[in-house]
Amino acid sequence: MLKSTYKPSPGALQPLPPGWTEHKAPTGHTYYYHADTKESTYKRPGAPPASFLPQQPPPINLSDPNVANAFMAQYNAPPPQQGQRGGFGGGRGGFQPRPRPQPTDKPRSKVAIPGHEPWILVYTRYGRRFAYNPAKNASYWRIPEKLMPAILELDQARIRRKAGLEEDEEEEGKEPKEATVSARPVTKQEEEQKAEYDYDSSEYEEVEVTDDEGDGDGEGNAKRQRTEEPGADGPVEFTEADIAAQLAAMGADYGDEDIGEDEDWEGEGSDPPFSEEDARALFKDLLDDFKINPYSSWEKLMEEGKIIDDPRYTILNTTKARKDAWEEWTRVKILERKAQRATEEKKDPRIPYLAFLQQKATPKLYWPEFRRKYKKDAPMKDPKLADKDREKWYREYINRLKLPQSTLKSDLKILLASLPPSALNNQSTPNHLPPQVLADLRYISLDPSIRDPFIEAYIQGLGPPPTAKEGELEDDVATKKAREDRRKREKALQERERAVAEEKRRQEKRLQFERARLRDEERELERAMVVGKKGLQSQLAGERLAEKMVIKREDEDQ
Amino acid sequence: MPAIRPSSKRKAPPDGFSDIEEDLLVFGNKMKDAQNTPTDNIPKHQAQWPIFQISHQRSRYIYELYYEKEAISKKLYEWLLKNGYADAMLIAKWKKQGYEKLCCLRCVQTKETNFNSTCICRVPKAGLKDGQDVQCVSCGCRGCASSD
Ligand SMILES: [Zn+2]
Ligand SMILES: [Zn+2]
Repeated sequence: MLKSTYKPSPGALQPLPPGWTEHKAPTGHTYYYHADTKESTYKRPGAPPASFLPQQPPPINLSDPNVANAFMAQYNAPPPQQGQRGGFGGGRGGFQPRPRPQPTDKPRSKVAIPGHEPWILVYTRYGRRFAYNPAKNASYWRIPEKLMPAILELDQARIRRKAGLEEDEEEEGKEPKEATVSARPVTKQEEEQKAEYDYDSSEYEEVEVTDDEGDGDGEGNAKRQRTEEPGADGPVEFTEADIAAQLAAMGADYGDEDIGEDEDWEGEGSDPPFSEEDARALFKDLLDDFKINPYSSWEKLMEEGKIIDDPRYTILNTTKARKDAWEEWTRVKILERKAQRATEEKKDPRIPYLAFLQQKATPKLYWPEFRRKYKKDAPMKDPKLADKDREKWYREYINRLKLPQSTLKSDLKILLASLPPSALNNQSTPNHLPPQVLADLRYISLDPSIRDPFIEAYIQGLGPPPTAKEGELEDDVATKKAREDRRKREKALQERERAVAEEKRRQEKRLQFERARLRDEERELERAMVVGKKGLQSQLAGERLAEKMVIKREDEDQ
Repeated sequence: MPAIRPSSKRKAPPDGFSDIEEDLLVFGNKMKDAQNTPTDNIPKHQAQWPIFQISHQRSRYIYELYYEKEAISKKLYEWLLKNGYADAMLIAKWKKQGYEKLCCLRCVQTKETNFNSTCICRVPKAGLKDGQDVQCVSCGCRGCASSD
């Protein structure tokens, strides 16, 4: 029976079912995406995986009751000989010289389905559930349609209970703790959304059967995706990070089913397809946000270490990648600053002229002498300025030099105070003052050694730049797009972090589970050591009885 | 006549200095620290290594800003050389093929070394025995061949 339901067909790539497309993730993995259901998977959909590595366990389509029942029966029945299990494929242990750890999902609790006696709903240790009819000795992962309204009510009651008793999981009573607390990565969200959204029967059915069928069942993930989709921020684009999150969840689910054989999955889970370009852009955002000086050196940046705690720092996972991104960023920033300064100076031709005056003008020279002496210097030739203006400013400047320092200082203060906070604020630097300041005689009248510290002190006493400025810039299309892009990749980053955290949590759980099982095994071994030969037989019989599941296999008649 | 231009002895640095001022300050402090570190317990030839290394790094910093990133003006670059922030001789070497990564001038001055040849750190890694760990005597360089 098992053989008939699962047969890998290596090499024979069947065409993808309608709606599916094949893609390459930046990591090099091939994945499949369904545009309508927004489902994605690493496993080729519609057909058993064409090929898999020997150590990779074959996926089991647990949404098929035949397979599911056989799968369950396997753990229910007396321990079979290795050979008997051959149908599950080589990866499952049949060809393994020593037995591999086996999944040990078991029924955990059951609840009668009101109005449909003798049907019961069985919860497994791993948060799955299936419908079981003891009279017919039949069980179904896919909840039969007629049972759905009743199960829906059960669920709604549970959700209400949960909503009221969020803190106290034990209060959930019948349902096993793991099922709601940790075995399923999205449970909480799911539950909330279930409560929030219309709970029509088709969606319902999907949610039910899916719980955590693991991989191989594209359906299950599609459904989870669907229930997750109408999140608080409404429908969003299905991004690489979404895929990553989902794959991490898938990998983790799978791990629960098949502890000890998940190395490949972990590899994929911890390496989510996150666009290289996005990663670099995020890293550059980080540099922007920390107001890193692009003229500074990489070594200094590393020594200071102030950016390394930001999650965007490790988004690029090698030092070389970070340094490369930094190099790119500094070059762009330096160019930007150059351009900005050039336009600032272009805006007002008085700026270079006044700066020149401050350097060269002296009361010892009258204007005609000064003009003759420096006639070859650029500020003296700038056609944008009239010669008579040059002369006027020269005279004014020379006159101002005769004023007492205190007057010059207070004049400068008046000038600075006349600027709006958008032009001058505590983010301004004394070396890059707005043109209104630079083009004013009051600015050049004080010697820089006195003036610059004075301005610096003044700036420090100012408030921050007004934030409304951003709104005014909104019409700038490029700015808008840049902001939008940034928002997108930040969202993707959040998704990825969520997925990574989720994966971590699941790994921890798996580890705990492994330890628990190891303890069990040890205990069993101890017990085996103490019972005699005769006692052993009776003990085995007893255990078999104890472990007997609520369902029996739905036998070969299927 | 009033005193007009309070004559500051040192001319103000050219535009753009403020962009790199902080980094130069850090280099300056490191240099001071290196110079003030007691060298009693250090082999004599090693005592100067940190100073060579900081000097190298600072020259490199300025070199890259000017030649690779074009981040500073020629005027500022020349001012920096003149004021001892970078080693013009060393930078001149870096512009020559084969000397792009040269650690210090001493390592290419044949006279001072024991074997009347350039320093061991100038030997490309490919020309060394596998895993041979070299460190030159003059500046502590572990290899500065262009091909490394
Ligand atoms: Zn060297
Ligand atoms: Zn050297």
